[in-house]
Amino acid sequence: MQPFAFSTLPIDTARGREALADPACGGYATFEGWVRDHNEGRAVRRLEYEAYAALAQREGERIVAEAVAKYGVQRAACIHRIGDLALGEMAVWVGVSSRHRAEAFAACRYIIDEVKHRVPIWKKEHYVDGDSGWVNCERCAQPGEHQSHADHAATPVADRSHGHEHAHTHAAEAHSHAAPDFSRQIALPEVGAAGQQRLHAGSVLVIGAGGLGVPVLQYLAAAGVGRIGIVDSDVVEASNLHRQPLYGVADIGKSKAAVAAARLRELNPGATFDVHAERADAGNLVDWLARYDLVVDCSDNFATKFTVNDAAVILGKPAVFASVYQYEGQLQVYLPREDWPCLRCLWPEAPRDGLVGNCAQAGVLGPVPAALGAVQAMQALKILLGLPVESAPALHVFDLLGMHWRTLKAARNPACDHSPRELQVDAIDPAALELEYPTLAAAFASGLTLVDIREPWERARDDPPGPIEWHLPLSAFMQGSTALPPEGRYLIVCAHGVRSLALAGHLRALGYPAVYSLAGGLAAVGA
Amino acid sequence: MRKITLQYFAVLREQAGCSEERLETAATTPAELYEEVRARHGFTLPLSMLRVAVNEEFRDWSSPLESNDRVVFIPPVAGG
Repeated sequence: MQPFAFSTLPIDTARGREALADPACGGYATFEGWVRDHNEGRAVRRLEYEAYAALAQREGERIVAEAVAKYGVQRAACIHRIGDLALGEMAVWVGVSSRHRAEAFAACRYIIDEVKHRVPIWKKEHYVDGDSGWVNCERCAQPGEHQSHADHAATPVADRSHGHEHAHTHAAEAHSHAAPDFSRQIALPEVGAAGQQRLHAGSVLVIGAGGLGVPVLQYLAAAGVGRIGIVDSDVVEASNLHRQPLYGVADIGKSKAAVAAARLRELNPGATFDVHAERADAGNLVDWLARYDLVVDCSDNFATKFTVNDAAVILGKPAVFASVYQYEGQLQVYLPREDWPCLRCLWPEAPRDGLVGNCAQAGVLGPVPAALGAVQAMQALKILLGLPVESAPALHVFDLLGMHWRTLKAARNPACDHSPRELQVDAIDPAALELEYPTLAAAFASGLTLVDIREPWERARDDPPGPIEWHLPLSAFMQGSTALPPEGRYLIVCAHGVRSLALAGHLRALGYPAVYSLAGGLAAVGA
Repeated sequence: MRKITLQYFAVLREQAGCSEERLETAATTPAELYEEVRARHGFTLPLSMLRVAVNEEFRDWSSPLESNDRVVFIPPVAGG
């Protein structure tokens, strides 16, 4: 007799009893599950069972083997009906024979509980009123309305009805045999069925659905993470597609977070995807992150990264950071432990966006953020699975052009108290700092003093004639130059207007009352 | 004089025009070493914005340098 079998015919219990009989056994326990006439207050007329056969067979055999090993019983078997069943018919049978009754009862109980919990079987209830609906049998190997205790604790009550809807959606998908099969990762000893449950009970907030965020979201959703929050205020642009292949040309102009959620639902219909189509900031991030187990930072600016760090530190949640620059990437994990460094430990002076790098920094090849994002997803899965994340805190620096991966050990900075500091970045509205002019002459004519902050090598390459009074490279400001008198009215210019905007904000914060940035930089103006 | 292997990342790599170089230096600390190469390569970032790692570990700018040390200057990056 097979330890686990599906049957389209009524179960023959006499044959099962015969197959399990053993002269060494003093006890035989069975369990029978029957089709009853009601479920959740609705009168049921008949039932239809359907199994995801490839996965269900293996999982069923594994459960029976586990019971035999765990309780030391002699023999055990389970038969589950599939197809149409009438009221009162037997849907499932479990039999166990053993030397003594205690193990027989325990093993029998174990098998039926685990089968209902882990084996992907769905039932369609046909109600007396003519209606019908697919119902996920217990939790199955994947999602359903029954979530783990941990998830219950973290999920507001209102969400549970939502989860129930997902169970129905998922069952419908399974009906067409389109449900995800996690068997290839469950086969890993570090994952297993218990790990898969942890992933399903887990939740991750992903900040940014761009070059890093796309692979992070895809791999977390594909691995069966139960709830994923997607934060991105941008819309899909044509220039995103080369490194964000989750999106297509038809998505251009649509909300990234909303499009991503729709695609990811196709990948795992049983998971929940929360869309936050807003910019993450100090005002909303702590509230959002409180509802997730950890955060993965895939943002593209320092202000957001440091805000993510502060929210993670405040709430004591792990955070997985990555950033890319052309062919390079940096990756750092923050864990809420006494001895573990945060982002501010490493970078005590939170960099101001635009002041590091140059105007050409936007260049990137798709596989660079993809590689870093894949590593971020791996770290996030390890955290959810409870596996060691890394042996010691480190900043990992990848150079995909030269093919180097350096692990630089980082320690907690004794001067850093892990407390959030006020970010000045948002204190001044950038829109109030930018001015548009058709030519430099027009800017000059409006009474502004022009300050060119390009580096000498840039000016040597391309120096447009114009009424520029000051040539003070950005690097001089960064070294603390005070050459520029604070009382003037200045228009800062650079190649494309990125650095000048950052410097204008910086100088305003230092007390310069009338500093502006030339929108679009020299590239945007005529001679 | 100390023989040092120096590695550059991100904007420093661009400005230096190479990702790695070996040099002999009289610098006794990473801070002195950065001053030396900053002048030579025209690095625009002030030291306060960078971190330095020596032999795969983050160090203070005033920690002593030894011959055959591997020094990495790292600017923060934010691309996503």
